[in-house]
Amino acid sequence: MDAAAQQFSTDKREKGADARMIPCPYCEAGCRKRELLPEEELRCVRCGSTVLLPIGKRTLQPTMALSVTGVFLLLLANTMPVLNFEIIGRVQSGYVLTGVVQLCEQGYWPIALLVLFAGVIAPGLYLGSLFYISSACVLRLRFPRLAAVFRFSHAIAPWNLIPVYSVATVVAVVKLRMMGGVEWQPGARWILGVAVMSLLCGQSTEKQIVEESLEEMGVDVTSGGGR
Amino acid sequence: MKLSDRMRVDLARALVITGLILYVPSNVMPVMTMAIVGVVEPLTVLGGVEELYASGLPLIAGVVFLASFVLPFVKLAALAWILLLHGTPKMRLQRSNLFRIVHKIGSWSMVDIFLLAVLAAVGQLGALASVAARPGCILFAVVLLCSLLAAEIYKPRLIWEDPMPDIP
Repeated sequence: MDAAAQQFSTDKREKGADARMIPCPYCEAGCRKRELLPEEELRCVRCGSTVLLPIGKRTLQPTMALSVTGVFLLLLANTMPVLNFEIIGRVQSGYVLTGVVQLCEQGYWPIALLVLFAGVIAPGLYLGSLFYISSACVLRLRFPRLAAVFRFSHAIAPWNLIPVYSVATVVAVVKLRMMGGVEWQPGARWILGVAVMSLLCGQSTEKQIVEESLEEMGVDVTSGGGR
Repeated sequence: MKLSDRMRVDLARALVITGLILYVPSNVMPVMTMAIVGVVEPLTVLGGVEELYASGLPLIAGVVFLASFVLPFVKLAALAWILLLHGTPKMRLQRSNLFRIVHKIGSWSMVDIFLLAVLAAVGQLGALASVAARPGCILFAVVLLCSLLAAEIYKPRLIWEDPMPDIP
């Protein structure tokens, strides 16, 4: 290990002891903060992740717009049918929630819960919490519990599986087409919309911008850190 | 709930072992049965892939095969390797990079569970078409949750930590 590696302090007690040290967002090694030149970025010596980026004039406005759009699309996706299946003249339209109810009625409620959570609740909470944080940062409003909501958005992100759901509907259409008539319904479009908004939100939300804006507003981001 | 580092490692190991044990039955047992115009057909995950391939859709068959058969195993195997070497100084950087990938590929295996939900939603036309879930889907979901939770519980910082810090 070289001399730079000696500076690592993953010990939480030492966190904040030196204002110039910041933890790597990935492996939590202590990294020495310094002013960045344009187009320069600070990387963690230990794991190579980007610790600081020159964010310049980037704000959370895209996140704010994308997340609120996502929430509305999610509402539409759940109030409109996704597919129509037709066999010998009889048609059935399926909503996202019809699948959940059906699985529940067949006695497979754990699966129904999983689908409900990963396909409806988690996307809603993810997009909702991002909207809460980004609007607070953009409008400089000190909403309650911002740091906790920010940590929550990180915890819920891997459970937002709506992009996977949209792929599953495509596979379902292919499968059903072998057996009868299938027709796309508006709900499918909105599901795809939510998936795109979720992915774009993940891309546009830079942790560093959120942390810096929260610090400017005097919110302690590191309190109760753990997650 | 606060988990100690020791508990995180043990819990992640237990989840990965559970996942690996249940991986085989989850792929052998039927996930659902589809009855179309009286013909009842139990479907396993691989059976579904074969059917897609046979009907001339190799691309979609490939996606489903990768997402629901290859990926869960690769993910569990990668986690097992990372957890096996926990506390040793061997290949830390590689483990750190692999863990990042494992975390990113997330849970595309949920495709099959969602597929079941979509098919069950529209496949309720009485005698003409009916889709019913089968116990295999529970095992499949458990394998999936095991790998997802294990990746959430184990933290990348633990890769770099020594088992017993001798020097305070």
